[in-house]
Amino acid sequence: MKKLLSVLLVALLVAGLMTSALAGAADGKKIALVGKSAGNAFFEVAANGFKAAGEAEGAKVDVVYPEDATADAQIKVLDNLISQQPDAICISANDVNALQAKLEEAMDAGIKVSAFDSAPNPASRQVFINQVTNDGVALGLMDAVYDIAGGEGKWAILSATSQAANQNAWIDAMKALMEADEKYAKLELVEVAYGDDEPQKSTDQTQALLDNYPDLKVICAPTTVGIMAAAKLVQDTEGCAVKVTGLGMPSEMLAYTGADDAHSCPYFFLWSMPDLGKMAAYTTIALINGDITGAEGETFTAGDLGEYTITKADDGGTQVILGPLFKFDESNVEEFAKLY
Amino acid sequence: MAGKSGRSISNIPESPIKKLIFGWEGILILVFIGVNIFCKWFSEYYNMFNLLRQMPVYLAEVFLMLVMAFILVMGEIDISVGSTVCLAATMACIIANAGTPMPLVILATLAVGTCCGLVNATILTRFSELPPMIVTLATQIIFRGIAEIVLGSGGSIALSDTAGFKAINGKIGSVPYILFIVVILAVIAAIILGKSTFGRKVYAIGTNRLAARYSGVAVQKIRFIIYTLMGTAAGLCAVFMVASSYGANTTTGTGFEMDAIAMAVFGGISSTGGKGNMIGGIISAFIIVCLRIGLGQRNVNGQVILLIIGVLLIAAVALPNIFGSLRKAMKK
Amino acid sequence: MKLKKLTGSREFLLFIIVIAMFAIVSIINPAFFSFKAVTDMLRNNAVTLVMALGMLGVMLVGGIDISITSTLALSGMAIGMLLKYGHISSTLVAFLITMGIGTACGALVGLLISRAGVPPIIASMGFMYIYRAMGYLISNGGEWASAAALGDFKNFGTEKLLGLSKVIWVIIVCYIVFFIVMKWTRIGRQIYAVGSNAEAAEVSGIKVKNIKLLVHTVMGFLAGLSGAIQVAVYASAMPNMAQGGEMDVIAACVIGGVSMSGGRGSVIGALLGALIMAMIPKALPLLHIDALWQNMIKGVMILAVVVINVILQRVANRNALARREM
Repeated sequence: MKKLLSVLLVALLVAGLMTSALAGAADGKKIALVGKSAGNAFFEVAANGFKAAGEAEGAKVDVVYPEDATADAQIKVLDNLISQQPDAICISANDVNALQAKLEEAMDAGIKVSAFDSAPNPASRQVFINQVTNDGVALGLMDAVYDIAGGEGKWAILSATSQAANQNAWIDAMKALMEADEKYAKLELVEVAYGDDEPQKSTDQTQALLDNYPDLKVICAPTTVGIMAAAKLVQDTEGCAVKVTGLGMPSEMLAYTGADDAHSCPYFFLWSMPDLGKMAAYTTIALINGDITGAEGETFTAGDLGEYTITKADDGGTQVILGPLFKFDESNVEEFAKLY
Repeated sequence: MAGKSGRSISNIPESPIKKLIFGWEGILILVFIGVNIFCKWFSEYYNMFNLLRQMPVYLAEVFLMLVMAFILVMGEIDISVGSTVCLAATMACIIANAGTPMPLVILATLAVGTCCGLVNATILTRFSELPPMIVTLATQIIFRGIAEIVLGSGGSIALSDTAGFKAINGKIGSVPYILFIVVILAVIAAIILGKSTFGRKVYAIGTNRLAARYSGVAVQKIRFIIYTLMGTAAGLCAVFMVASSYGANTTTGTGFEMDAIAMAVFGGISSTGGKGNMIGGIISAFIIVCLRIGLGQRNVNGQVILLIIGVLLIAAVALPNIFGSLRKAMKK
Repeated sequence: MKLKKLTGSREFLLFIIVIAMFAIVSIINPAFFSFKAVTDMLRNNAVTLVMALGMLGVMLVGGIDISITSTLALSGMAIGMLLKYGHISSTLVAFLITMGIGTACGALVGLLISRAGVPPIIASMGFMYIYRAMGYLISNGGEWASAAALGDFKNFGTEKLLGLSKVIWVIIVCYIVFFIVMKWTRIGRQIYAVGSNAEAAEVSGIKVKNIKLLVHTVMGFLAGLSGAIQVAVYASAMPNMAQGGEMDVIAACVIGGVSMSGGRGSVIGALLGALIMAMIPKALPLLHIDALWQNMIKGVMILAVVVINVILQRVANRNALARREM
């Protein structure tokens, strides 16, 4: 009796929890969008854009999140997806290399694989939907640093983790740009700090930058959590002349954006997250329909975004590039904060 | 602590058949059947083929559970294993990329894991008054920290030649190698824990450490062996992790220690020591694996899956206790 | 005699370690040696400092709670969303809500442990998953509440009272209350009694189950309070905040000499342990340690502190024994 009851109860609990998570069946094209982790507002905006565009085209879009922000967890998600045999998988990879085995298996099973936001290596994808080229990010950020610092002085970078692939690519591109262009000769990059995308560690690291370099002029944080933590600390520190810029979300940065001394961030950048999702959806659908195969030089129309051409990516694979960085300052930040 | 739980599991030998049917293991078998029926109903993709195809990634964690069970029976814990997997997987890739033949790569990976285990074992036995949780917490940070340093900027390494590790993913029929290895090792572990003198000593340590020592059990020696083996198991897990991802990165193995502990605890192995057996742990491991696959196949949110596992975990331990005390109350 | 007792105590040894660490870092980088640096450090580690107190209580009765940062995230996320969508605007109400949610979460864990006999690590592990998932679910699947959405509430993290940040006042009040309760009240003595020997405590009329329920409820209360502090200090609420932070809290207590088997530990010890845990990540970048090495060095330092503490304790015990034999 006791056993029966306990089994029943356990089953009831499971069944009760399940009802909300049930997904309906659908025919037509099935696309699975795999995120980096659950609970990431940044990704959510793009996912909504993806879903809207995909469903407008008659496809069924499932957004799947791994239980953890790790490649291990994404491997389990991919295993599940291969069982379901969707028409395509579009993934934002937690690691460059780790998904190769599973994504190759998916492609062997006839599933089209595209990537966006963060690319797995060329062997594991057909095409990468890149928000902005690495050089584009580097140029935008370097010019911002140059402008805010007044052309000379010390500046520092606050990154996410030392292992974040896209962060490192941007930082390397910025360093290369500094070497190559005389314009930036008077700017001195004093340190690259890592805040692990945790508010607490980012705050410690920003504080250390302020303490270690009293004549620091600019902190550039190409990560949404980092720029938020740095902007908050700098804004809260009385008499601190340091300015913050980088890549951030308008809704996160609203309180810190402004040209006056009361705000710590004159302006910052990002790409259009809804458009990135939309673009990823159109690209993935083009893959399914056979309009493109992911080879260099192919062209396709991405809905109302216009026509795009597939180009060669820095890592040897192919990519589609959404467009340049988008600048947010006090004139437009409030408007965009409502969106994302 | 002993006798608190209403479960009928103990280390006092009973008729094994009776124990299997009426004990916690009996319930677990029912739950296992129930979970499979549920998954079959819930997911149209839930079949033997997909199950066997998806299982290897989860089975790698079962290796950890096999040794974790010994540690839990001793009333201790090791939360560094996930990081050990990370370090061993990283070294495996580096060694393999140097052109080392495959058998040597596997041996070296096991050796790296064992070395990490040795570090834990040495510290824990030399300073036996230190709680295992804090020592393994520190080594958890250290092992992953070393992997971060080794991997450097980028934090990720890929195999330059995947053929060797691809072979590890091989199958006999449609049954992957790893399933055979898990079953063989599980049988060995179950026999050692359940039938050998060594196993009885482990229970003795978990039930009453002082009494065990006075009755001549070499407590520190046994702890040393088990913590070292825990590292070896993590090395083995690392081999299969590399095989499933053709690489390693700084997050490899994150949270595996909790997964392993959850499997063992759901199987009736008490974290307060001295209770439970390997059969329960193994059945529960398969319950959790099947449930995760079944739910995952219908894209149930990862957080919701964790929530369900959390509820199951608590229910597995609390319900028998609650019913036990209810029954006692009714008898009065 | 009193001096000898003092110098032999675990807290004194720890105090020496704290001062030594502080001195070494200050010499290498004078930026560490300032009132502002110390208050900033306290503010940035308020969550660990506050929760260390609750963990002290839990560990004194021989328990452990790894669900605390999930409770923190759930309660913090709750007020984050309430503030964002304008359901509440008062700072006081927000604090009350987090404390209420935290208390309920803690009480639930405590009930399972004390009434259903679930081992603490299992009960709290289950709720670690459950509360974290609930925090995620109430965030509408991943929304964040950021500075602009938090209105006046975020000012709590920056406002000062009598020259000290309000957040630091919260820490001070918590520590004073705990110090008094643990040292001079019946409840405090009962907690120690349960941890030293639960059966003896039961026999002597202490309601062991209620004490266990109490410490977990208090732990939940402090975790909820920490949720409000976290959201105020960083002016943002995210469903994954403070993930893994429970280990820092446990490490702080163990470093502070709190025994994991119960019965031993003090408020001062927890404070010193939490200070050491706060100092390590603050000091490493100030010492210009390469970013890649910082995690490993943090681990080595935690290990070193607990091992040194054990060695010093052994020496102290041996000396005490030698004195007695004389």
